[in-house]
Amino acid sequence: MAIVCLEYTVFHSMMAFRRAALPGLLTALLLSPAMAQGKRSYINDKKAPENRHDLDVIQQQVKDSLPAARRATICIDLGDGSGSGVIVSPEGLILTAAHVTGGVGKEFTVIFEDGKKVKAESLGLNSSVDCAMARITEPGTYPFVEIDRDDSAKLGDWVFALGHSGGFDKERGVVSRIGRLVQVKDSTIQSDCSLIGGDSGGPLFDLSGHLIGIHSRVGARTPENMHVPVREFVKNWDKMQKEEFVGDGPFAKKPEKGKGFLGLGTKERAGGGLDVDKVGRESPAEKAGLKPGDILLKMDGTELKSKGQFQDLLKEKAPTDKVALELLRNGKPETLTLRLGER
Amino acid sequence: MAGAAQTLETTYRTNGQTVQSAFESVREVLQNSSAVIQRGNKELAYGTVMSANGVILTKASEVAEGEGLTVTIGTQVYKNPALLAVDKTWDVALLKIEATGLVPVKLATDLPDPERGTWVVANGASSRLKRRPQVGIIAANAREILPAGGVVLGITFKEKEEKKLVVEEVRGGSGAEAAGIKPGDVIVAAGGQDVTDHESLAKLFENRHAGEEMEIAVEREGKKITMQVKLAARMDLFPEAEEDKSRNDMMSGNFSSRRSNFPRVIQHDIIANASTIGGPLLDLDGRCLGMNIARANRCETFAIPAGDLKSLADRLMTQAQVK
Repeated sequence: MAIVCLEYTVFHSMMAFRRAALPGLLTALLLSPAMAQGKRSYINDKKAPENRHDLDVIQQQVKDSLPAARRATICIDLGDGSGSGVIVSPEGLILTAAHVTGGVGKEFTVIFEDGKKVKAESLGLNSSVDCAMARITEPGTYPFVEIDRDDSAKLGDWVFALGHSGGFDKERGVVSRIGRLVQVKDSTIQSDCSLIGGDSGGPLFDLSGHLIGIHSRVGARTPENMHVPVREFVKNWDKMQKEEFVGDGPFAKKPEKGKGFLGLGTKERAGGGLDVDKVGRESPAEKAGLKPGDILLKMDGTELKSKGQFQDLLKEKAPTDKVALELLRNGKPETLTLRLGER
Repeated sequence: MAGAAQTLETTYRTNGQTVQSAFESVREVLQNSSAVIQRGNKELAYGTVMSANGVILTKASEVAEGEGLTVTIGTQVYKNPALLAVDKTWDVALLKIEATGLVPVKLATDLPDPERGTWVVANGASSRLKRRPQVGIIAANAREILPAGGVVLGITFKEKEEKKLVVEEVRGGSGAEAAGIKPGDVIVAAGGQDVTDHESLAKLFENRHAGEEMEIAVEREGKKITMQVKLAARMDLFPEAEEDKSRNDMMSGNFSSRRSNFPRVIQHDIIANASTIGGPLLDLDGRCLGMNIARANRCETFAIPAGDLKSLADRLMTQAQVK
């Protein structure tokens, strides 16, 4: 079966994938559908809807759950492509796919369905199961959905998928699709909600509007639409929050050790420490605020004694790794934390 | 959900037969009001029955000149329908068969645009005797679909000329031709703005609609001439310049060749293909919310909304002089 990830890129390299999401209104008292409704619908215990009443029930539950689900569904605009995501806390914690964020500490723009834009950055991910976390970096209260922490979704359940299919389109809004869970495996659930590029990272909901999965990839045939179950997010939650890059899987490429880039020129100084004599333009060092004349004392707690030793310490780091630099500026101690770039 | 893989039997899937049977009353409407349009054994499109005496609307670009068609309604086959009128804006053709007592669709013109989550049913497959339903939901906001590839005047430029827009060729049937633009003319302004290169000219066409007029100034034999030129969709005037298939297109199967440039559509998620377009889109009450007009891609299908379909049908019937 051909597997195609759903990230949408205008100029895509082989099997690169990204894009899709939704905007939300900033309403302070936003009841999540979880709170607004009961739990599992009786309709899911029937093998199939039998009559008009059953169909009306499905339709009504989808319609009732859609407004809150749409508000929390976002477009993740990466500049060279886009994916989707969903907000799961009032502070703006985002769940999406690993192949959308592609790594830790990446900055991107979140677009809500109404067109409102906010800044965000990626947290950790698991590249083996295609789950990732991110957060909105602008303070605020954001619309969010409840996740199905009880892992209650079952084969055959009625579900609906949302996403910014093919990229953000304000006139169209978020695209909704109905379906059932047609296959359930450990780290993948499959539905017959049709997905396309741009939907990647978007949410799959049960009828009461609980998040049960995140869109990941599709097979060659229309009914083959794969999602990462929320269970995998729960399993990886703490590590993702701690900005860890977990796994060696196909969905994101682990940054290579030794390729980290700081952008500093230093000179050894008598009595220990290093004099900063050059700061590269647009480099991570410049962005973090390092200036010529600063005296570097420690990196991640280790005293700096020579240029060679400093380089050896940096060689152990990879792009996007965080580094803490203790320094003296005008005689005063300061600590700057920055994320390495790629050489 | 953990454990070995579990798989739902096909019949219980969203478009499996058991689920579809819950939509039987709507299917019966399709049986009588969704026409199957064929040439020989090949299904080209579906059609929407608009009158008891045999007015059928269908997707114009799928039936070409309308020669050698058959139309099946219910279990009755009608040969050689007359293609009496075409509306290029909506890509809709009016076919007329000799019939009485057909059951036209009940257009839901009194309802607002259906909201997301509303069940919809369309003709999904058909045999000589039976229409099968395909089900889905309303998926997005009703809206205009701008032409893919944008709008054009209908001219090409001499490539060797730099910093000057010298007309090389004027397309037959274009707004440029109608307005009198000639090869050798130099385009100097568009929409009141001076232009000297392709890029700045192209910018002025962004978000313009096909059918709109634009003021164009040309220099000819040292004189400046200003005229109003009707814009057209690029794909209508330069059909040879096919869009490159995007990655999303490659995963979208057999989508409609004409899938953009519609004044207004409603969108749903029924899995269609180019030859299952043209039939009615029904709600659970069997009312006609619109007529399917394009399979756009893997997850988007467009329909002409009921209100627009009503005005379009009236216009085409007047044009075709049928009642």
